[in-house]
Amino acid sequence: MVTEVERWKTEVYGAEIREQLETFAAAGWASIPADERDAWFERFKWWGLYHQRAGQESYFMLRIGTPNGVLAPGQTALLAEIADTYARGPVSNPTFGDAYLDWTTRQSVQLHWIRLEDVPAIFERLEAAGLSAQQACGDSWRNIVGCPVAGKDRHEYVDALPVAEGLHATYKGNEAHANLPRKWKVSVTGCREGCGQGDINDLAFEPAYVERGGERVRGFNLRVGGGLARNAPRFATDIDVFVTPEEAIAVGGAISALFRDHGDREDRYSARIKFLMDEWGPERFRRVLQRDYVDWELQPAGTDFRAEYSYNAGDADGGHNDHVGVHPQRDGRYYVGLNVLVGRMGAADAAELARLADRYGSGEVRITQRQNVIITDVPEDALDGLLAAPLLEHYAPDPHPFMRGSIACTGTEFCSLSIVETKNRQVRYARWLKEHVTLPDGVDEFHIHLSGCTASCAQPQIADVSLRGMKTRKDGEAVEALDIGLGGGLGAEPQFATWVRQRVPVDEVPGAIRNLLAGYDAHSREGETFRAFVSRTDEETLASLLEPEETSYTDPMMHNTKLTWYPYAADDALAASPAPAHADGSPIEGDD
Amino acid sequence: MTDRLLRVNAYTTCDLVEAEAVGPDGTETAPAVLNVRVPRRAPKHVHLELELDGTALEWLPPHADRLLLSAVEARTVADALRDCADELTPVE
Repeated sequence: MVTEVERWKTEVYGAEIREQLETFAAAGWASIPADERDAWFERFKWWGLYHQRAGQESYFMLRIGTPNGVLAPGQTALLAEIADTYARGPVSNPTFGDAYLDWTTRQSVQLHWIRLEDVPAIFERLEAAGLSAQQACGDSWRNIVGCPVAGKDRHEYVDALPVAEGLHATYKGNEAHANLPRKWKVSVTGCREGCGQGDINDLAFEPAYVERGGERVRGFNLRVGGGLARNAPRFATDIDVFVTPEEAIAVGGAISALFRDHGDREDRYSARIKFLMDEWGPERFRRVLQRDYVDWELQPAGTDFRAEYSYNAGDADGGHNDHVGVHPQRDGRYYVGLNVLVGRMGAADAAELARLADRYGSGEVRITQRQNVIITDVPEDALDGLLAAPLLEHYAPDPHPFMRGSIACTGTEFCSLSIVETKNRQVRYARWLKEHVTLPDGVDEFHIHLSGCTASCAQPQIADVSLRGMKTRKDGEAVEALDIGLGGGLGAEPQFATWVRQRVPVDEVPGAIRNLLAGYDAHSREGETFRAFVSRTDEETLASLLEPEETSYTDPMMHNTKLTWYPYAADDALAASPAPAHADGSPIEGDD
Repeated sequence: MTDRLLRVNAYTTCDLVEAEAVGPDGTETAPAVLNVRVPRRAPKHVHLELELDGTALEWLPPHADRLLLSAVEARTVADALRDCADELTPVE
């Protein structure tokens, strides 16, 4: 028996959702029949719209997918304008104000407080500029990720950008691939540093080569079945296939079709392709792919560069661990990676980012998988001018490690799954740690990822310190808490975090991290990375080093923020919610 | 330690309950996650799931228990929970 979601998808899905969406938008949010809302909200995801959580009815999150994180000249300014015009809610965020946008871990853009009535106008403006929210969410090809400096990086082995763009052009809006059993996350990387994070994607193209007739042929090895969610993290499995860039588009569709036909449509929690890989194993997977989905003989995997991977590897001595900072491109110009703490940027700042990109670069901006942005194509003689811009005081190319290493998901501010506040909390954490904790000598990069629940949107399992939302009781009161894991990361030897403590009250987490780092400093060997230290230290010792402690850090969001309508409202009780609201913000009467 | 076995999000029935595991040689006390759900694939049972926090356990290995309740059993349990809850004072 198929799931309810599958039934809804059978009735209406894919491109045809758009027409009804526009009809509802014209008539107003309240025109969606109450008993059809769940179905329509599920379908709207295919067009990038997530209905916000309880207490925020009639408001949506809008996700705009930007393949490989590339924003062409003019697109960043447009996103800033749209955020400024439409992403305004009834209450300000105390840290970020009104009208902001989020750069995401899948190199996309998210706006909040979007009203359905405004969606047609937003879509029109996006599409006129070559942007789209199509398939940014839902059960199909999500935004394709990759090394954010593809085509520009000096370390690139094969240019992955045409492949990412080709996959995007071929399979977005392709009816045969529009309705998959679950989300479909693809990574395409051509660099030697592992920047695509292919290990945690459903399908990964990673640089490799084979020898043919004495010639070295460049292309990609394939891995399938990575992902972090559902308490079942998996690194993608090598399926022993090499493809040339020319074959990559076809094989991407072939594997998507295999997933479409064989993925589990009866249980959404077992639907991701990682569970099919669990069931089949790579040999059977490859056999079925060869037999039923490609019409050429698949070549065995070539020689890869995984031993050189440095991205999110926790090893400061290697290549790039992220893309922050000033780096030479292969054409002699430079790219400048700016740190955006937890990925959130005000609309005015985003407009200034666009202006700086126009003035000092080519106008292009790129989004990274660490929620940061890059201004590309900066000539050497323009670097000083860009680096002196006031915007870079806040979005620094040389940030403190605690600012640089912070990632956070959306959290209870808007998300219906999260059980704790996240983005503002990670900002508070980073600022407190910067002021009060000294990192051991030689440690200049340290990743802390905060996720609000086990869905793992902040990729907590691949951080030095993994934080994930829970509850505990403190002084008799239920308070927000975090499970804490240690030692996760990617690189040559990817590993998931070891979970060391559970339910640490949120106000004691900074103290725990301070104590942990002091212990690492005291007990680590000369030159030993944090990950290596965690790896050789037993869990009991790690737990004792990670001693929770109250400090000067105070947390204003200790209470159960998931029970509020909006955590930062003066009266945050669900009963005080102004939602649902008409397009002008006035409450819709009689709809609860 | 391995990860939690039960997913925990805003739809989890109780993300924090007090729990005890009773063995022949003693009792373990730990915070726990309690969840009630119906599987999406051809449901035949109500699943009542319990996982004590792994880090709080001394001798019990981390695990989750799952009761597979028929509709009648689930209603019996629900009725018993209501009746017993009414006996607590003050009534919440």
